Amino acid sequence: MLDSLFYFLACFSVIFAVGAVTSRNAVNAAMCFLLCLVGVSGIFALLEAYLLAVLLVLVYAGAVVALFLFIIMLLDMKRVSSWHFKGVSGLATVIGAGLLISGVVGIATRGKLESLPLADVPASGASLKAYGEALFTTYLLPLQVVGFLLLIAMLGVIVLSKKFTAEEVQ
Amino acid sequence: MTPVQQALFILLIPLASAAIIALFLRRKGAIATAVSVTAAAALAGLSLGLIFGGDRFTASMEWLRFGSFSISLGFKFDDLAALMLFVVSFVGFFIHLFSTGYMHDDKARARYFGGLSIFMFSMLGIVFADNLFMMFIFWELVGFSSYLLINHYHEKQSAADASKKAFITNRVGDFGFLLGIILCYATYGTVNLTELSAIGDAGGLVYSRLIPLLLFCGAVGKSAQMPLHVWLPDAMEGPTPVSALIHAATMVAAGIYMLCRIEVLMVAEALNIIMWIGTITALYAALCAIVQSDIKKVLAYSTLSQLGYMVAAFGLGSMAVNHGGHEMVIAAGVGAAMFHLTTHAFFKALLFLGSGSVIHGCHHEQDIFKMGGLAKKMPITFITFTLGVFAIIGFPGLAGFFSKDAILLLAFQNNTAVFGILAFSAVLTAFYMIRMWKIVFFGSARSEHAAHAHEGGFSMTIPLIVLAVLAVIGGYTGIYGKLAGGIAQLIPHSDAAHTTILITSLVVMILGAGAAWLFYKPSDMDTLEQKSTGLFNGLSALKESFDVIYGYYVAKVQQRFAMLLNFFEQIFLAGLIIRGFSGFVGLLGLGARALHTGSLHAYVYWFLLGVVLLWALITGMF
Amino acid sequence: MITVGLNTCILLSVVLFAIGFFGVLLRKNTLVIYISLELMLVAAMLLLVAFSRYNGTLDGNIFVFFILTVAAAEVAVGLAIIVALFRQRVTIEVDQLNALKN
Repeated sequence: MLDSLFYFLACFSVIFAVGAVTSRNAVNAAMCFLLCLVGVSGIFALLEAYLLAVLLVLVYAGAVVALFLFIIMLLDMKRVSSWHFKGVSGLATVIGAGLLISGVVGIATRGKLESLPLADVPASGASLKAYGEALFTTYLLPLQVVGFLLLIAMLGVIVLSKKFTAEEVQ
Repeated sequence: MTPVQQALFILLIPLASAAIIALFLRRKGAIATAVSVTAAAALAGLSLGLIFGGDRFTASMEWLRFGSFSISLGFKFDDLAALMLFVVSFVGFFIHLFSTGYMHDDKARARYFGGLSIFMFSMLGIVFADNLFMMFIFWELVGFSSYLLINHYHEKQSAADASKKAFITNRVGDFGFLLGIILCYATYGTVNLTELSAIGDAGGLVYSRLIPLLLFCGAVGKSAQMPLHVWLPDAMEGPTPVSALIHAATMVAAGIYMLCRIEVLMVAEALNIIMWIGTITALYAALCAIVQSDIKKVLAYSTLSQLGYMVAAFGLGSMAVNHGGHEMVIAAGVGAAMFHLTTHAFFKALLFLGSGSVIHGCHHEQDIFKMGGLAKKMPITFITFTLGVFAIIGFPGLAGFFSKDAILLLAFQNNTAVFGILAFSAVLTAFYMIRMWKIVFFGSARSEHAAHAHEGGFSMTIPLIVLAVLAVIGGYTGIYGKLAGGIAQLIPHSDAAHTTILITSLVVMILGAGAAWLFYKPSDMDTLEQKSTGLFNGLSALKESFDVIYGYYVAKVQQRFAMLLNFFEQIFLAGLIIRGFSGFVGLLGLGARALHTGSLHAYVYWFLLGVVLLWALITGMF
Repeated sequence: MITVGLNTCILLSVVLFAIGFFGVLLRKNTLVIYISLELMLVAAMLLLVAFSRYNGTLDGNIFVFFILTVAAAEVAVGLAIIVALFRQRVTIEVDQLNALKN
């Protein structure tokens, strides 16, 4: 039964991803993206990475997509043009598409990585405790660096979004 | 302080003085004068200490190394260097002193004294040099200093031309010099003078005529032998103390010094050629001097002639001498040449400084036919100048008499033809010197300036007096022997031929001096020109001929060749290669610029292309 | 416990990545391009989790954690830039944002 859930969630994600990319309305695109994220989150849960599933919804679906919607509404975009298929870029698109599709098909048919069945491999991501231990011992440095990065991003955003009035520029 | 330190100080003090003047004192003439003269006094004092202190040493330090080839800098302080050091530092100091008075009104005094200091540095470098490369470096530096100082009155086109001519002619000689040094290095593997002497003593010298002749080319350029003599008369455009120091006493003597240094490399054929070049120069210059009307030009040709004597003496080579009962062969050429170099430095510097005093007194008038009657107006100058004139013509008892006798003796023993020519040149020497002496100092004043002539200050008369004293006593064994040490023992002397030479020199002097005294009358015009225009014109043409030939060569031959090279350079270098390369780079730039379309999508496509290439590379498709 | 093989997960991740990539290449609106970019990141995260699960290690999960953080920061800053750009240019169609041309 879980297998069919997996396939269902996979198709769900792909359909809404296509929707996000091809939609003509920016808000629609963001919403489709949101649903795609929900699907992927479900797949995470099926792969027994429960913390990540929750984090994906919280951070990504909750904060990032919300931010996108804020900006869309701030910039007040009504209609956005769709696919763009002319001249040299059209040719390049066709070539690129060909490459990508061949890559996908190649992996689908010929890529056969050996792996044990899931039942034989214990899910280490399932226990929060192991997660916390690894994060605060082996990966302490990246953790601190990422914290610092967030601080800088925050500062950057504040600086970038200031409206410079005439007196400040001088 | 140790002798090596003393030598180092002697070498570096004038360099420091020149640097200080060049950097800080460009406009402050008085302070620059003080700095330069103090430096000259200090180095004169240190030199006297070093010479009479008795130490003789060598010391060297490696400077550059390219694999197995190395250039080292060092001192070789033996008797020869000590003698030369005395001449350079002592005469140099007095000329510095003289310049303070002579150049007092000159606005560019600081530049002049800076030039003098850098000259002293370069000349001392040549004196102390212990290997030929170091000597060459300082050789070129001396040429540069000479260029700087001749060009002192650079507003005058003639001065600029003269300095260029001097430098270029020197350069031609230096080219031969450098070839000689390279050949010497290639043959012997060393250019160190001490090592070369050691090879010579051990009998390991290769028989080569080319090496000494090429090295002699340097002396031909620097000491103004034929055919590269054309720069010395024109070099009189510089201030008179410069002419005294550089073009009479020291720089032109550097060629002779160098010859004495490389004496060990000489072979008979080379010495022969050297001897003849010296003799011909002596004769030619003496002939040209007879018809000169500029007081400094007369002295310049006289210098040329005396240098010819020195070179001829060197070329006459060695002589068998009866030394306390047994015969031995000594390098008499070196002895005679250095003896004459020393005495010549004294009396020629004296003559030039005296002429400087005369020129200064007559308000920068240099034509002897506009002077006259100065004997009463400038007594000290007159007396010292007279002593100088008598020294150069070989008056018995004065320094020049002894040194000229030595050369004539050597010539008599070794080559009678040269002896005849040198004796005839001595007649001419006496002739033109007495001519000049009479016209300048006797008779009545022939111009306003001469009528109001007056003596210079103490700064100008004291050097004259000191040099006059040296010109008198400098030839005696007591003085010269103490100064020159081992070199003095190389002076040729012979009891057998002694009387012949004595009589010859006296006859020569009386003949020349008497003829000039009786022939020339103090007047506005040259008596020879009046009496026999043909002879006068002939002798003048003799002087011009070389300049005409060189001028023709440069204008017709060299200039055409240069234009051809210029044509090639424009087409190939400037056009094809330089513009071609820059055009190619420009094309690359244009191509790169076309990539900046400003469209985000285009950039992403380029990314994709890059990723695909990397992917193909990784999977091994290329 | 699912029995889906690793290859299926990889295929799914690649398909999502391809869709996102097409979106970046073919859309003109900056915000939609940005959304497609995030879609690519999600696909990468999925791949990492799949590998981590099938190898039995924790490192893939941890890395996803960091990607999540960095993606959030990146979105924040990127959107701030877009807003500033919109203030200057009043347009966010990428083919009109070509001031760097030549």
